[in-house]
Amino acid sequence: MSPALEATGLGVRYRRTWALRDCSLSVPTGRVAALVGPNGAGKTTLMHAAVGLLRPALGSVRVAGEAAFVAQDKPLYESFTVAEMLAFGRRMNTRWDDAAAADRLARLGIPLKRKVSGLSGGQQAQVAVTLALACRPDLLVLDEPLANLDPLARHDVMRSIMAEMAGQELTVLLSSHVVSDLEETCDWLVVLNGGRLQVSGGIEELLDGHLVLTGPDAASAAGAQVVGASRAGRQVSMLVRGAPPLDPRWQARRPGLEELVMGYLRSPESAALPGLTGVGA
Amino acid sequence: MIWVTWRQHRAQILVTAAFLALLGVLLLGSAVEASRYVAEHAPPGCPGAAVACGDLAVALGQRYDAVYSIFGWMPLVAPALIGAFWGAPLLGREYERGTHRLAWTQSVPVWQWLAVKLSLLGAAVVAGGLLLSLMVSLWRPVFRTGVDSTFGNIGVFNMVGVEPAAWWLYAFVLGTAAGTLFRRTLPAMVLVVAGVAVSMLTLFQLSDHYAEPARTELSGTVLLDDPDARLVSAAWVEPSGREVAEPADSGCPRRVDVGQSSKNAEAWQACLFGKGYRYAVYYHPPSRFWRFQWTEAGILALASAALGGLAVRRTLRRPG
Repeated sequence: MSPALEATGLGVRYRRTWALRDCSLSVPTGRVAALVGPNGAGKTTLMHAAVGLLRPALGSVRVAGEAAFVAQDKPLYESFTVAEMLAFGRRMNTRWDDAAAADRLARLGIPLKRKVSGLSGGQQAQVAVTLALACRPDLLVLDEPLANLDPLARHDVMRSIMAEMAGQELTVLLSSHVVSDLEETCDWLVVLNGGRLQVSGGIEELLDGHLVLTGPDAASAAGAQVVGASRAGRQVSMLVRGAPPLDPRWQARRPGLEELVMGYLRSPESAALPGLTGVGA
Repeated sequence: MIWVTWRQHRAQILVTAAFLALLGVLLLGSAVEASRYVAEHAPPGCPGAAVACGDLAVALGQRYDAVYSIFGWMPLVAPALIGAFWGAPLLGREYERGTHRLAWTQSVPVWQWLAVKLSLLGAAVVAGGLLLSLMVSLWRPVFRTGVDSTFGNIGVFNMVGVEPAAWWLYAFVLGTAAGTLFRRTLPAMVLVVAGVAVSMLTLFQLSDHYAEPARTELSGTVLLDDPDARLVSAAWVEPSGREVAEPADSGCPRRVDVGQSSKNAEAWQACLFGKGYRYAVYYHPPSRFWRFQWTEAGILALASAALGGLAVRRTLRRPG
């Protein structure tokens, strides 16, 4: 299947510093991709490049079809009413599903006559997402859609996006630095760290392909591809890729998403990318 | 896009339109009142240059000054306001609120968004400037038959012809460019106010060079008989034909005047004229009105195009 989003050797520079370098990844159609990484990792930069807000200095990024974008802080025109925001979307887009947008807002209980500035943070996020969805995009790019929302609103926003996924051929790329928000909904993982791509792959396959090992610090890690290790007293815990080491003193289990992400973020030199055979490449 | 432009900028558009309408009513009322006054009080043959028309001219002059003082500030302040409230927020506010990331990720490409906004708002600003010019041009002749000052008085000159339109457009584009520079509204507003003031002073200084000044030699008086001419410079011409700034060894006694009297200076000048000196005046006659109007409008249009190009370039190059 052709990818919904494909970046090749992507490099973005702000004056002298590289915000993103040598980034090659693809997200298959129909996936919900989580873009994670610490602050300043290049998540927003990658998204801006994908939706055309930035011109890359090197390489290219390609979206199959139309992309819709919800920027960080969900910008809307505060003096507009919700209905006027819909009119804005209608007049600024060639593809626009007005009925679906109005219907969605009605279901969410957001009054069309209310001014944007009079909406709660969660409602503003829903309006921003509604605008993006009403363009009937092939790729929906959401930059920190859950930031500044209370837990209930986080859940509502996520659930309503997932509900839209069901009806259409939509691919979603959403960023967050809170991995637990993404666990239930995402099935593709992209990890950025310090402007470099560390992980890109299906979440199930990644979790299946890694092990968390715990054992005494004397145990040998020979024969395993170690992503990262941490010590607590005489106990060692490490994330390995592929088969476990031969030493029988290790206890192995499948990692959680958060463990996998943290394991890579703590070892910026490690990478798990398609086409890379070795860890630490 | 047209609706979007209207919805986002309707406050500025409506306030400007209301202001122009208010000014129009004021000018119309004042012109009607003055015409009535003329009809009731004017001696036969007035207004005109006859001595009998003096009282009428004074009465009209007082009416003119009273109204003019209400909007005489406009040549400088109106462009500054246009730049600050039409230009500076156009991009400055979008960047400031982050809404540019909303506006520029829709189907309408960034260049088109910018082109529609710049052309629609630019056209509105030009129309507003022309309307002001038209209203002032219709109003002034009611009071000023025979005494014109549209050329010599720089304030009036900037309010008639194509000048207001050119200045308003220039200020609007300057504000837009300032918005891309600072990416915030308030600093862009400050820059545009300062920029308009500096530009106006600069062009005022420059305007002497729009054309080669005409030269005339006066004898018996140092005053040009055309009150609407723009004086560039003056010099004394010795009987030998040499032009000097200050006559030396003329043999005429020169005493300093005290208070507001100028009788010593006049006596000195009369003495010089008596010895065959002449007074050379370099000036621009009022017949150059349109030449000056179009020259200044041309300079402003070129500057607007350059600033507009800068704003477009900065916007398209780094939209994020």
